[in-house]
Amino acid sequence: MITDPLAHALAELAGDLRRNTVEVRTGGAGVGSGVIWTADGIVITNAHVARSDRATLVLWDGRTLSGQVTARDRRRDLAAIAVTGGGPIDGLCPATIGHPSTLRTGDLVIALGNPLGITGALALGVVHALEPGDAGRPRWIRADIRLAPGNSGGPLADARGRVVGVNTMIAGGLGIAVPVTTVARFLGEAGFGRDATGWRAA
Amino acid sequence: MAGPSVDSASAGVLESLSNDLAGAVERAGQSVVAIHARRRIPASGIHWRPGVVAAAHHTIQRDEDITVTIADGTTLPASLVGRDPTTDLAVLRIDGITAPVARLADASGVRVGALVLALGRPGPAVTASLGVISAVGGEWRTWHGGTIDRFVRLDISIYDGFSGGPLVDAAGRVLGIDTSGLSRGAALAIPASTVNRVADQLLATGRIARGYLGLGMQPIRLPESLVERLRLPNDLGLMVVSAEPGSPGDRAGVLIGDILVAVGDTPVTDPSELLAMLGPDEIGKAISVRLVRGGQPTTISITIGERPQPQRSSRRGR
Repeated sequence: MITDPLAHALAELAGDLRRNTVEVRTGGAGVGSGVIWTADGIVITNAHVARSDRATLVLWDGRTLSGQVTARDRRRDLAAIAVTGGGPIDGLCPATIGHPSTLRTGDLVIALGNPLGITGALALGVVHALEPGDAGRPRWIRADIRLAPGNSGGPLADARGRVVGVNTMIAGGLGIAVPVTTVARFLGEAGFGRDATGWRAA
Repeated sequence: MAGPSVDSASAGVLESLSNDLAGAVERAGQSVVAIHARRRIPASGIHWRPGVVAAAHHTIQRDEDITVTIADGTTLPASLVGRDPTTDLAVLRIDGITAPVARLADASGVRVGALVLALGRPGPAVTASLGVISAVGGEWRTWHGGTIDRFVRLDISIYDGFSGGPLVDAAGRVLGIDTSGLSRGAALAIPASTVNRVADQLLATGRIARGYLGLGMQPIRLPESLVERLRLPNDLGLMVVSAEPGSPGDRAGVLIGDILVAVGDTPVTDPSELLAMLGPDEIGKAISVRLVRGGQPTTISITIGERPQPQRSSRRGR
């Protein structure tokens, strides 16, 4: 009977996280994922996903929006896309952002994305290692989780559904995510205000 | 199925599991050490008994100049007590090790579907992967003739440097030692009881003694007429395809082409059956081997020798 609440909780969490995730298409370069960062339409993805300046964003419910890449940091492999039109942007579900510094090795993590073009696929794993960076913040989150091309740019969330990282690479079978603290610094340096870089309800 | 209470009950279930798993890593991780005994990345080991670390044989690529790094970052010299390539286990002694000793789980925790963590320390920090026990079987014999008390197959990622690290349950108790070196890279666990048995022998004598005949054999089917004429117990036998010069079999006069059919009154139809008769207690004892040579039955007495210690293995594994 214990698996029942577990399956229930996981399904609920996947449903919520799916609403925070978009499919990112940029002219012929395949499909990646993105995280809805703010309700007014800032989407975070990888720089290697947002190769061109314009992007098409597909929401969980199938709606398609158009976006413009407004910031790109190849070193951190991050990009910000602003929704510019293609439909009403009201009803966007921004992700709840967590704190990667609270993660411990062994904590459950959940990834949402479009691996190999499969829309809104869930993966479950654990934190494998937190690679130390500056000031106690992890430089990378290494996760024992099965990801594939198409997960790039999508969310890695903790057991409460709070996004802690942006899935960026697969190395040696491990999923490698850029921590959200790095995303906040990227947005800050790109001139976004505190509303965009800060933490809400976390 | 989802009653009214399920929502509230399920709300924290993932978080609670996550906390359990992270807690298990933290507790059991205290006993996991990094072993520096090869090039490239360190291997993992587990503080098994006070001052004694168990590890995977195939990751210990030198016998001297071994050091281990424990959870608090201290690096200590280690001496190799011995290794058993047949079970892929090695035992090290470390004086002054302060890390806690592994807390063992009850063997009943080894069951299909059990949620398990593999831990390793292929660097300064402990690292983890999550999976399940995918199959459990009885006692089995490895390619190299070692006996493992139970077959425990894992659906879990054994990353580089993970072999020799512990398999732990969600409470951080150790079920066994993980290795990818026993089965073409597949993730298996060596149960704690086998680790204890091998560690006892290595600590007592520094090696695992094993009976030895020095004969290479291959199962063959015998013609029906021969089986009838010689009144053999069955129609399978073991043809000798090699005889190590100077080995017990060679000295007893066994020739290539001889067909073994029984040891004493016990028929042998597979080399593993013969291996099973060559335990450490059999060394020095004589066995009566029934064989067929040139179509005629013969009986030869062979005194079981001790298998020469195998050299370091170059088997692949993580």
